[in-house]
Amino acid sequence: MPKLRNIRKKPKLDMNPMVDMAFLLVSFFMMTTTFKAELPEELRIPPSSSEIKLPEKGLCTVTLGAGGTVYFSIDNKFERKRLLDAAGRQYGISFTEKQQQAFSLIGAFGVPAAELEAFLDARLENRPYEQSGIPLGENGELRQWILSARMINPRLRFAVNADAEAKYPEINEIIETFRDLNITRFNIVTDLKPIHAAAD
Amino acid sequence: MLPPIEDIEIDRIHGRDDKTRKSTRRDVDVDMNPMVDLAFLLLTFFMLATTFSKPQAMELLVPAKPDGQEAETETPVKESKTLSLVLHEDKIVWYRGITDPETFEIEYENGPLLALLRSVNTEVDGLVVLVKPLPESNAAGLVAVLDALNVSGVQRYALSEPSELDLETENAPVP
Repeated sequence: MPKLRNIRKKPKLDMNPMVDMAFLLVSFFMMTTTFKAELPEELRIPPSSSEIKLPEKGLCTVTLGAGGTVYFSIDNKFERKRLLDAAGRQYGISFTEKQQQAFSLIGAFGVPAAELEAFLDARLENRPYEQSGIPLGENGELRQWILSARMINPRLRFAVNADAEAKYPEINEIIETFRDLNITRFNIVTDLKPIHAAAD
Repeated sequence: MLPPIEDIEIDRIHGRDDKTRKSTRRDVDVDMNPMVDLAFLLLTFFMLATTFSKPQAMELLVPAKPDGQEAETETPVKESKTLSLVLHEDKIVWYRGITDPETFEIEYENGPLLALLRSVNTEVDGLVVLVKPLPESNAAGLVAVLDALNVSGVQRYALSEPSELDLETENAPVP
């Protein structure tokens, strides 16, 4: 009598289609993803029923925190690097290669130019840094940043990203700065209002 | 000393003999589990990190600042055609006209504000709405008002400075 063979085989599952799918999705997400510009503080964006989308590229955002802290950002990494060069020339600061690298990776920054070096060093060492905001006003640094950014990319679009709690005087100063530089058309970032609220 | 060459059993050196020779060719079995694990890890990461909902925006047009040479040309507007909205911290004070107006209060809620703007807009031809935010008003209020203005179809509106009178309306009696 022949020996009984063990008919219970280890179940084998063909995982290839699943793996194909997984990699397909990974590559899709890798290509389409754009990371949120990190902000040092959480913003509560006021809702509106406007459905205009912000442009994806060539956008310069002035962010206003709830406490009135002003942050500045442009979306292109290479333009950021050139922006720092321009600022370095203007304020007579020479940045190291590493600092430039750190700056090009920052989403938004909100420090006066005098503190830039200390801020970038803190960034490189992963230390937290209290950002006091970009000075506003007639000859404030915000004006200068916008000016240099425009010099680098003349087709830049502008947006104000204000927290719901941000007070009007600061908003007004930002608007006045824009007006001063002949930027008369810009966007205010808003959140899409829930449909039931927009209906009435 | 090496043994004579005929004595060396080649098969033995290669570690095989007749019995094992048949089974030397086996299927190559690569363990794909770590790779799959990594693929799914990346997948989860990118799925969580990605933002599909792009932020919405509202367009705002502001008048250019007048040049030094040319005098500021202000288009006169009929008093009767103006509606002023003075934005306070938690309410809006509104009035028609400019001289000695009757003031009313309204909440920041979208519904009543929109109803007000719509009714005044149909009543007055060529309405001009003056939005006057007080220093204590915030971005949420401003956006709510601008949004209502956009939706209501008011053609002309402007941000302007509150006058002395507007600052006083804080204590105006509620009608």
